[in-house]
Amino acid sequence: MEPEVSNQSLLFLIVFVLVPLTLSYYYQLGMSKDIVWSSIRGTIQLFVVGYILTFLFDLNPYIGIPLMVSIMIVIATFHARNKGKELPNAFGVILLGLITVEGSVLALWLAFDMVEFRPSEVIPMSGMIIGNSMVAMGLALERMKSEFTENSGRLMAALSLGAKPNQASHLIITKTLNAALIPNVDRLKTIGLVQLPGMMTGLILGGVEPVMAIKYQLVISLSIFSSVSLSAMFVTMAMYRYFFNKNDQLLESEEELRTQSK
Amino acid sequence: MAQPIFSFKGVTDDILKDLNFNIYTNEKVMLFGPSGAGKSSLLFLFNRLRDPKGGKIEFKDRPITEYEISNLRRKVGLLLQSSNLFPGTVLDNLKYGPSLCGEWNPEDAKKLLEYVQLPESYMNRKVDQLSGGEQQRVSLGRTLANSPEVLLLDEPTSALDYRTSEEIEEVLERLVDEHQLTMVMVTHDLRQAKRLGERGLFLMDGEIIEDAPLQTMLTKPKTAELKDFIQE
Repeated sequence: MEPEVSNQSLLFLIVFVLVPLTLSYYYQLGMSKDIVWSSIRGTIQLFVVGYILTFLFDLNPYIGIPLMVSIMIVIATFHARNKGKELPNAFGVILLGLITVEGSVLALWLAFDMVEFRPSEVIPMSGMIIGNSMVAMGLALERMKSEFTENSGRLMAALSLGAKPNQASHLIITKTLNAALIPNVDRLKTIGLVQLPGMMTGLILGGVEPVMAIKYQLVISLSIFSSVSLSAMFVTMAMYRYFFNKNDQLLESEEELRTQSK
Repeated sequence: MAQPIFSFKGVTDDILKDLNFNIYTNEKVMLFGPSGAGKSSLLFLFNRLRDPKGGKIEFKDRPITEYEISNLRRKVGLLLQSSNLFPGTVLDNLKYGPSLCGEWNPEDAKKLLEYVQLPESYMNRKVDQLSGGEQQRVSLGRTLANSPEVLLLDEPTSALDYRTSEEIEEVLERLVDEHQLTMVMVTHDLRQAKRLGERGLFLMDGEIIEDAPLQTMLTKPKTAELKDFIQE
């Protein structure tokens, strides 16, 4: 039996919106407008995506997959770039990083027959890879910026002792990568214990055997783990150099970062 | 007349205005002046942590831009206001500079601790377990590990209490003499300047408005600005 949420049942979802709305009204949080607007917007967005996906899934995979994956990569690039606007070439580096990560993961999936080259499989799974990579790149950029600001004294000391920018930044690169990887390692450790991952839950609700659902979940969880690591490493290694000029001098202000790119 | 080790000719940037002066080998020069006068900006030009917008700086009769930057920075060591030690042990910090170019000799560690008057037992101590004064000593040892010819100091005791400052001054005084270092130091503290320096450069709004032997300068200031600064 295919599970189905009827339109009538969907209407009752309004109860889930009424709870935060009541809280906001009662405690005068001033969020009522936001709650109503985001609920309507989220619903419309999901339905639109649903219809687009239905359309894409019916397309020839050689058209539908590249089209949707490209759109996802471009949107993710714009979003992640916001975290490092003041850094030169952030857009290009993130775009290249996302293409590399998604390309490598997709190639492995197909090469080892984990996923079939069908829009209904590749698009949702690629969406999870690109989305998580986007967040990882944004976090890595933010972390790197704050580490450079907090450690400017140490960086100046290292440069003064004769270190090249890659040697001086070693500490910051390590900290940034650590910060990007630790949550992922933790997530993998508790997978299935604290909460059932979204994809697995969806498949089980869709009537798939739990063991089969777990196999899919493993593919996606380990792929995400690998792509998040690769994304954080890619963006960190590609961007740290922009915090220095060609004379191995530390650029401290946003203005310097913007104007003195190498 | 001694040879100039550093020569500044018409050096200008956003803060500094047309600076012309020489620093001679083994000189002990104190840069002082009010906040925002450009003292640290000037100090960072010596080891190219910054570059000027105009003019020329020579180190041993050659433009500093002709030196390989890492080599120049090893020859012109810098000690900052805070110790800025790297995470790890005292030894990790002491060997940092020489290790970068594969020149670390493990026997030097003992000697460096001796220079900065820290016991040998400190070698493997984590730097975050040290007091502020001890950390600044390690930082000084780390700078000396590269065997610099010039020592730049950017208010090295401003984060320390009076007694610890005096101890660091004592170490500095001895080391600069023993190693025949040329010293350029930024300081706010006139007592410290008198103790450690021979020549003073008084900076105001990016200009050197007095350049004279410290003793003369502090007892007979020529400009009203310096008089006011001394009285403050």
